[in-house]
Amino acid sequence: MILHSLRVANWRSLLNPVELGPFSDRLNVIHAPNGTGKSSLFEAMRRALFDAHHVSGEEIEAVRPWGRSLAPQVQVEFIQSGVRYRVEKTFLDGASAHLFRFEEGKFQPLADSRNADSKLREIIAASDAPGRGLSKHEHWGLSEVLWAPQGALHLDSLSSSVTENLRAALGVQLTGESGSRLEELLEERYQTYFTKGGKPRTGKQAAPILALESEHDAAVAERQQRLEHQQRFEETSRAVEDARQKRGQARVEADALRDAVAQTSKQAETYLLLQSELEQKRLTEQGAKERFDAIGKSLELIGNTREEITGLEVKIRSSETLVTDLATEVKNTANAAEEARRKRDESRRQRSSLVQSTAEVEDAQAFVDDNKAHQALAARIEKLRRFETDLKQGKERRTALVAPDDKTIREVRKNLTALEKAQAALRASLIHLTVKPDKKTKIHQRSPNESQTVAAGKAATFSGSPEVTIEIEGFGTIQASGPEGDAEANAEALREAESKLTKLTQPYGTQDPDRLQLLREQADELDRNIKQLEEQSSEVLDEDSADELNQQSAELLARIRERLGRFPTWEKQPPTVSDLKSALEKQRKTIEATIETAEDEYDKAQSAAQAVEKRHGKADGELKNARLNLEAAQGRMKDLTKDGQSDAARANARQEALMAWEAAKTRAKECETKLNEIPGDPQKDLQKLGRQLKALEEAETQARDEENQAEGRLQTLAAEGAYSKLAACEETLADLKSRIQRERLRMDATKLLYDTVTSCKAAIVAAVAAPVERTATHMLSRIAGPRLGTVRLTENFVPAGVRPEIAPEPVELTNLSGGEQEQLFLIIRLALGQVLAKEERQLVVLDDVLNATDTGRLARVLNLFEECADRLQIVILTCHPERYRGLEAATFFNLQERL
Amino acid sequence: MKFLHTSDWQIGMKAESVGRMAERVREERLEAAKRVVHAARDNGAEMIFLSGDVFEDNAVDRLLVRKVGEILRAFPGPVYIIPGNHDPLVPGSVWEHSVWKDAANITVFSKSEPVELDQCILFPCPLHEKYSTKTPTAWIDARDVTKPAIGLAHGNVEGIPNGEPDYPIPRDAANRLGLDYLALGHWHSFARYDADDGACRMAYAGTHETTKFGERDSGNVVVVEIAHHGTPPKLTPVKTGRLDWRTVERTVDQPQSLEAVIQELGKLDPPDATLVRVIIGGVLFPEDRHSLVRIEELLASRFLFGSLDTSALIPAPDGEGWIESLASGSFRDAAVKLRSQAAQSANPEERAVATQALLQLFELYERSRA
Repeated sequence: MILHSLRVANWRSLLNPVELGPFSDRLNVIHAPNGTGKSSLFEAMRRALFDAHHVSGEEIEAVRPWGRSLAPQVQVEFIQSGVRYRVEKTFLDGASAHLFRFEEGKFQPLADSRNADSKLREIIAASDAPGRGLSKHEHWGLSEVLWAPQGALHLDSLSSSVTENLRAALGVQLTGESGSRLEELLEERYQTYFTKGGKPRTGKQAAPILALESEHDAAVAERQQRLEHQQRFEETSRAVEDARQKRGQARVEADALRDAVAQTSKQAETYLLLQSELEQKRLTEQGAKERFDAIGKSLELIGNTREEITGLEVKIRSSETLVTDLATEVKNTANAAEEARRKRDESRRQRSSLVQSTAEVEDAQAFVDDNKAHQALAARIEKLRRFETDLKQGKERRTALVAPDDKTIREVRKNLTALEKAQAALRASLIHLTVKPDKKTKIHQRSPNESQTVAAGKAATFSGSPEVTIEIEGFGTIQASGPEGDAEANAEALREAESKLTKLTQPYGTQDPDRLQLLREQADELDRNIKQLEEQSSEVLDEDSADELNQQSAELLARIRERLGRFPTWEKQPPTVSDLKSALEKQRKTIEATIETAEDEYDKAQSAAQAVEKRHGKADGELKNARLNLEAAQGRMKDLTKDGQSDAARANARQEALMAWEAAKTRAKECETKLNEIPGDPQKDLQKLGRQLKALEEAETQARDEENQAEGRLQTLAAEGAYSKLAACEETLADLKSRIQRERLRMDATKLLYDTVTSCKAAIVAAVAAPVERTATHMLSRIAGPRLGTVRLTENFVPAGVRPEIAPEPVELTNLSGGEQEQLFLIIRLALGQVLAKEERQLVVLDDVLNATDTGRLARVLNLFEECADRLQIVILTCHPERYRGLEAATFFNLQERL
Repeated sequence: MKFLHTSDWQIGMKAESVGRMAERVREERLEAAKRVVHAARDNGAEMIFLSGDVFEDNAVDRLLVRKVGEILRAFPGPVYIIPGNHDPLVPGSVWEHSVWKDAANITVFSKSEPVELDQCILFPCPLHEKYSTKTPTAWIDARDVTKPAIGLAHGNVEGIPNGEPDYPIPRDAANRLGLDYLALGHWHSFARYDADDGACRMAYAGTHETTKFGERDSGNVVVVEIAHHGTPPKLTPVKTGRLDWRTVERTVDQPQSLEAVIQELGKLDPPDATLVRVIIGGVLFPEDRHSLVRIEELLASRFLFGSLDTSALIPAPDGEGWIESLASGSFRDAAVKLRSQAAQSANPEERAVATQALLQLFELYERSRA
């Protein structure tokens, strides 16, 4: 299709009719500022070609000029397959459509109204638009690729019809005749089983195999359960068999054991009888033995008692003698102890003399100490007195000495300096007149009024201010004068300085600072002496006052005098404390030794008395015991011999008892021999066998119980008919397996078919898309250089990305810059357009594109446009006409000028 | 004397190969049991000998046991049974069911010891466990008897190809043991063992109703007639089975070959007692696809049970006109690829999937043209 001209009225901002054309069949640039209506032109053309004239709705209503009730109108003239057409459409109010064909030099009506719409679609090979709605990209036919609306240069997808057209144009047969239907059927079949992602369908529209597999899983679980029941049945059957064998074996063993129990029982009975007999015989033997022992013991007791009586009588006699002797000794020792006690008490009384001697020693010690303290105190008091005398004299001398302080001295020195300065200034301000007469001359000065005689050759100076007037006899008066005022002021300053100095030094009698300094040093020396004496006095006092020292001295003297009153000899000869202490210690030792000896003597005497008394008591007790024992022995003897038999008779009876014992012993031995002939203890064996028999009987009972229980279980299990249920279950399982197998085969076949067709299609597309990819790659390389590599298309001819040579993997579009993306989309459209233009020139419309492309690349793009114009009519809508001025062969339309 | 020898009723057996018809197959075995009793009565048999495996398992439904008992109880003469390896005499076995005590004419032997009857002496060999390498007839010594000596045993006659090693029975057991007839059970097809003198003194009666596809000569009982001790018995097989387990296996290599299969299936009668397994291998021609569909329909609708196995069928390498009729493009390429895969893949499963895929494409292609 080639666009010839375009006329639009009442279309958005294009209120007045505007007509563009005739367009060049190569390159056209429509330019105008923003908002002028460039895109409206493009929109109007699309609406005229693809939309039914009677469309309605908000979108077409929006086309009306704002605030006006005007019906949008558009007229397009174009050439298709060498035939020139014109379509006129009015939308909304008075909607109409007219299609004309250029015949014999003029446009002749071809179709009207809806017929015009459908005829037009047929001519430009557009697909049907949706009812009364507006057309969309997918309804534009090939223009979907060739026309790029504003802001929609990208190509994300293409409608199937366009794709098919492209494939047809490329000579590609992907699905063959009726291929679309076949493809739909295959897709439908495939989606019966699988999702688009190739996974088995789940949910409400799940693949049938899933339900079968679910049933199969349930059947497997049931089969497992049935199988367990079957196995349990067989195991229980075996358990019954085992229990029967166990019970039979236990019964056989129990029968065998019962025989052994009977024999052992008989033997045990005999054993018991012999045991009883032996016990009886042992008792008889024991009785005989006891009788023998009793007679022997009686004989022994009689003999012993007899000996005991004799011994006791002897003992009683000797004890009586001993008791008498000891009574005498007790009396003697008591007297001796009394004497010793008296001596001890007497020696203890000597201790009182020590108290007096000790008091004298203590007084002597105190006397000596007090004397020493009194002497030391007297020395301190004397020393203190001397210090106080010196201190008094020092303070008097210090009081007499008037000395300036350092500050005063500094003031004097300062005033002396000021005085000297005043004197110098005064001298400098006076007029000095020196006269040196040749002969002795009397000279009188008027002020002050005084005269003097000056020897010949001697000089005399007269000073004064403001003038000096002298009268020299014989000569006359000489007056010398100078400046007035200064001398008087200086004299006043001098006086004032002298006055201050006098006032400062008046108390000290001298104005000589050195002397004043000497006075100051003398005063300091006196102050130091006073302070030293005060410190020494304080040291002597040691926190005591002089009165306290005097009082202490008086107290000590009083104590000394009191002791001299008691010990007058200490007046002349003071006591020697150590001698007194030695004498006292000697006296104490002598007395203590005496006391200790007396006490020892007493203790010995006392112990001797007590020992004798104890022996006497003991001998007396023994005597009494012996008498009692004798009495008891005599009683026993009486009892032992009360039968009146003789010792010989008793010996005979004992011999007879011995013989009876021996006979019983022999009979018991014979019985024991018989008992020993029976091995072991049959009774124990019998008990053991009884326990074994009982255990076997219990085992038999248990086996019978187990058998009964197992039989009960077996009957229950048999009644279940486990095998029949298992068989039914396995049949179901087999049937399910078979159906699953068939279904899986069906699914696998569908998947294989689908995958095979898909892979074949991909291979074909890859083969036929290659020329387009090559053309696009070539164009991209010319614009952007080789960096981006080759262009890749999907099977639906939309760009998938690029494959740079240096990159191992393809690069997706989103990873390219904005400029490169729009360049890529542009060249894909141009490449596809060239393919489509093989049979007929095609219109390419680019509405405000390449806004992100830099100037350098844009120039290359313009070159491409010029080359493509050999096959394509290109219409560019832009607000930047200067960017396209490089297109020398292009026809430019200034829309603004035409409004 | 005349008696009926039967065995291996396998009542309650499972029939996995027939899918949902298994229950029907089981019911048919009970019906066949009734026909055995009728056959005995109709052929003048004085007694019936059942040589083991009356039941498939000792844990079959007890209702089945009672039904079998009732069927045998209907026979006017005595019935002698030995437990087989499928229903050995063990605790909880089917033989503990009360029906055997209730039926006065039925004797279930529990011991291997001779039993003297008026007409003969029986040497029963009941089995007490499922597997054993013992010879069940080893204890028999009938050389000195005067009455016809008849043994009942269940096991493998030595020399049977692929025979199981358990319960071996010598091939000359009847002669060696002095038996007039040894009524055998275990194998499902009728088989006789003739002695050197031409007399047949031992035989498998086989199962009374075929149990599965592939059995050689099953669905019979044997009526045995013995004039007196020492004379060769006369064996007469009598058909008692009703189900026809038919396998139709064909390899096709020419177009239209499947029509013959359809005709053959059409002749099978009675269809409601016929179970058919059709196995078709070889080459499938496009024009035969409809025949294949018809076979499937026939199997599903006409017979008691039908199955079709085409896993060994591959599309014809040439002559696939419909593929050529596809316009050049992805579908034609895919069809050619699948055809090659179906014919040449080394993996049988892959071949089957590819064949099925090609068939699906054909079906879709025809629908797209409709």
